[in-house]
Amino acid sequence: MSETSAFFERLTVAGQDPRFSKVCGSVRFDIRDDGNLEQWLLDIDHGRMRVTRSGAPATTVIQVSAQLAEAMARGEVNGLAAITRGEIMVDGDLALALRIGRLFPREPGRLQREDPDSGT
Amino acid sequence: MRDIAGTVACIDGNTFMVSDASGDVESSPSTPVGLFAADTRFLSRWRLTVNGECMTALSVDDSQYFEVTFFAVPGAAVDYVEADVSAIRRRRIGPDLTESLTIFNYGERDMTLDVRLEVAADFADIFEIKFDIGEKSGAYYTNVGENELRLGYRRGTYRREVIVSASEPAEFGPDGLGFAVRLPPGQQWSTRLQAVMLALRPDGVDLRSALRALRPDESTLPTSVQEWVAAAPTLDTDSVGLQQVYRRSLVDLAALRFAPLSLGGASVPAAGLPWFMTLFGRDSLLTCLQTLPVTPSLTPPTLRILASLQGTRTDDVLEEDPGRILHELRYGESAAFEEQPHSPYYGTVDASPLFVVLLDEYERWSGDTALVMELEQEARAALAWIDRYADLNSTGYIWYQRRNRATGLDNQCWKDSWDSISYADGRLPGFPRATCETQGYAYDAKIRGARLARTFWGDPAFAARLESEAAALYDRFNREFWLEDRGFYALALDHDGTPVDSLSSNIGHLLWSGIVPPERAPRVVEHLMGPALFSGWGVRTFAEGQRRYNPLGYHNGTVWPFDNSFIAWGLRRYGFGNEAARIAEGILSAATYFEGRLPEAFGGFDRDTTKFPIRYPTAGSPQAWSSGACMLLIRTMLGINPHEDHLAVDPALPATFGRIALLDIPGRWGERDAFARQRPDQH
Repeated sequence: MSETSAFFERLTVAGQDPRFSKVCGSVRFDIRDDGNLEQWLLDIDHGRMRVTRSGAPATTVIQVSAQLAEAMARGEVNGLAAITRGEIMVDGDLALALRIGRLFPREPGRLQREDPDSGT
Repeated sequence: MRDIAGTVACIDGNTFMVSDASGDVESSPSTPVGLFAADTRFLSRWRLTVNGECMTALSVDDSQYFEVTFFAVPGAAVDYVEADVSAIRRRRIGPDLTESLTIFNYGERDMTLDVRLEVAADFADIFEIKFDIGEKSGAYYTNVGENELRLGYRRGTYRREVIVSASEPAEFGPDGLGFAVRLPPGQQWSTRLQAVMLALRPDGVDLRSALRALRPDESTLPTSVQEWVAAAPTLDTDSVGLQQVYRRSLVDLAALRFAPLSLGGASVPAAGLPWFMTLFGRDSLLTCLQTLPVTPSLTPPTLRILASLQGTRTDDVLEEDPGRILHELRYGESAAFEEQPHSPYYGTVDASPLFVVLLDEYERWSGDTALVMELEQEARAALAWIDRYADLNSTGYIWYQRRNRATGLDNQCWKDSWDSISYADGRLPGFPRATCETQGYAYDAKIRGARLARTFWGDPAFAARLESEAAALYDRFNREFWLEDRGFYALALDHDGTPVDSLSSNIGHLLWSGIVPPERAPRVVEHLMGPALFSGWGVRTFAEGQRRYNPLGYHNGTVWPFDNSFIAWGLRRYGFGNEAARIAEGILSAATYFEGRLPEAFGGFDRDTTKFPIRYPTAGSPQAWSSGACMLLIRTMLGINPHEDHLAVDPALPATFGRIALLDIPGRWGERDAFARQRPDQH
């Protein structure tokens, strides 16, 4: 199973997330890998989350490549930066998409570019 | 980075154009002129020539922030202008740039005119301009069409494009467009030029399109400014200068409103032109605090967007922690490719406590309990951040030490330049550092958070805990920051707890936060109003006599109007009405030398020596919290304060103002007027 699938499977199990207690809406991930299309639908109703593999209509649709989805599942992607550079395409409610982005993990010790001249 | 004298700005939120006085743009890699949107320069050249000659401006009308009209003639500026041909360029900024060009022939002969517009786009990120970085990683492209010129830049999936077109037939080339105009005597010729700016996704859709659909049509802009001014309280005063500053500040606050990508169309204040045309946590929170009596509508969207982007996890590049309120949000290429950490960057220690302070202050004015309930979770998270993530060495203070060692900020307080925190002898303290004003904000946030918890959230236990933490912080702070022999508070604590002993304006914020025992206040005030700090115009950021003092030092000696407005608020809190009035008089008088527009900062030179305020070379203008300073100074002069369902008024006017009335101040009381009149016995 891909890391992306594992990520969505975990959400299916989690079910409830207090961070979304004020959020209602539906978000579909369209994940493209060459010709293949993998779709995950998240229905959120005041923090209750239902995750299904479905291509049903959603208020917000997020399009990404399979490669980027894997990186997101590994916690390596800054969502807002990826939207700004066109790697994540959001149609619908961008604020909801950004909230959903918080579900993805983030590596705390992401590699930094060290600047040898800086520091005091 | 350079400040360009004589530039003309045309602004609509984070879209803006800065040109020379004739309307032309001729930029170099390090000058902030051109057409900008989303932190990117979409036009780096925009130069009009008639028969090969550049235009010279005779007059410029920029009384509307989103529209500028240039009256110009061909040729260089000379004593005598033989102006058979003249031109009007009417420029307007909305989602796109439009410019109506009209050329007149007032001569007696038929004219054949070669009218050309030189166009170039370097798609520079605002940070490339600020740090003078010339090289770009992506590739440029140019498409010359029958009816348009497309200039673009592509780097992987990142693509920005500008499309230039005209309403009249034109000859398009890679460097611009030209018109062959035959003009009989007494006739005129017009065309409407347009530059459409696109932030394109790989599928050709503009990534801002959903947001743009929510935007009001550009033709409604003037109405919206009139409505904005009409909705604000009316200022009635005998001071022409104050009237001018008030009007200018109101319009500039309107100009700086912008709709961030993630907020569903609501507007928040951008921090300032040209470097800070985006969302800053600290700047927007302080601007809202300053403007509550006048433009309270800025506050709910500001709190909401900062809440929606509040930190949720730990990230050492963005310096994100759970509960932390962001510092800066950018959409340019350097943010997109994470060469700068601004998507968003969280390296500030004051935005989180100030978020709670604003939420409480807003409720006191508006009575909007729904917002207090809506943002409970976020306010609690911001309060939790203070103790859980900011107390780096478990000593009970907010400390900072950057985790992003490549591009993070050394100083994460409002004075965020590298050398702003120093000992009186000039030494720089080590890290982590704890600056004094941040502790005041934390104290105030706990006190105000306790009120919210008890009154609205139904959690008296949490309220009691916050109050006891605030009391402990008050004692600790007054023991460890107070320099008894000097009679003021240390600017900061060094990493080992040694007080950083320099005298700075930061101590004025402590009065605003209420962390100063009343018996110590007179000594603090004596320093604030003494010759080392007070220039006659305002309180300097850093006192004369400190080793690093420089009247033109960005945070080491200049006078910041915003800083002074909070100091004046603090002075009133402790009963120093006359001193607050002196600051109000100084700052508002300085504004008249800047045509009513207070810059970010001006020189710390003595008022008696220079007689007029000295412009700081790279100061931003307009700047949201400088425009806000005028509003807060009016509040402090009138002494207006929400008191349950009433508006209390307790004026303290400087001698220069005979009468100030602010009419229709909105709040939980409906609308109320506040009057202040000079009493004859005050002289």
